[in-house]
Amino acid sequence: MTKIDQMRKGTTTMVILKLLSQVEEPLHGYEIIRQLDAASQGYFRFREGLIYPRLHQMEKDGFVESHWQGEPATRRRKVYRITERGLEQLSADVENWNDLSQTVNRLLGLEESTA
Amino acid sequence: MSDDIERLLASIGSQLDLDAELEREVIDEIRGHLEDAAADAEVHGVTRQDALAEAAARFGVTDVGLQLHSVHEGQATADGVVAASLPVVCALVLRWLVFSPGGTAVNWRELLIRPAFWVVAGAALLVPMLRFTNRRYALVSWTFFWVLSVIFALGPALRW
Repeated sequence: MTKIDQMRKGTTTMVILKLLSQVEEPLHGYEIIRQLDAASQGYFRFREGLIYPRLHQMEKDGFVESHWQGEPATRRRKVYRITERGLEQLSADVENWNDLSQTVNRLLGLEESTA
Repeated sequence: MSDDIERLLASIGSQLDLDAELEREVIDEIRGHLEDAAADAEVHGVTRQDALAEAAARFGVTDVGLQLHSVHEGQATADGVVAASLPVVCALVLRWLVFSPGGTAVNWRELLIRPAFWVVAGAALLVPMLRFTNRRYALVSWTFFWVLSVIFALGPALRW
């Protein structure tokens, strides 16, 4: 795993929550991957299989909820929707990310200190 | 479905040791993903067989089953504990219903006409088998207490 992969991994939950907070309809795993890929212009093109352990963990943590769409005899899809707890987590994650990125940028001299 | 996808799903399934329903849902979810990915590739002119093989390759994670297993492992254990507890509780209630406070089986036959006996017996016998997908966890305690109940019910002079 490259350093970029490691950095992306730390933000995957946050970007999935952000995506799910922006859509009205619940999304299935493959659609989440497609939309993240498109919105990030390929930056968030991670190995597809990794999305499911992450989504299941997020569901267990109460950040998303899921249900099945489609009849059992047809092609069924498990779709995910963000929960209130997920929205709260997203808000906290974004705030933490903002603080972290501003601090690191300051340390690296990429941004003028506002203090 | 292509051999590549069946192999991938079988590999993921072999890494899971969850209850049957949850395992089926996990496999169905991944199968749906691969079918969607293959359908996307087909739109771009790839043959069905190649599209499925490509979808399996893009999925690309050999240990996804282990990761999914670790996410759900605690849940399966909790279900197992509940599944194993219920027949034990029912067996203890049965023991209270069937046997006198002195611990003998005297007059136990009179209890066969009491509705409560049949309700508890039915629950102990049927609920774990119908409700819990983790019934393998419950089976040992369920069998043990039922065998004990039958042995002592058939031998009224015995003490529990």
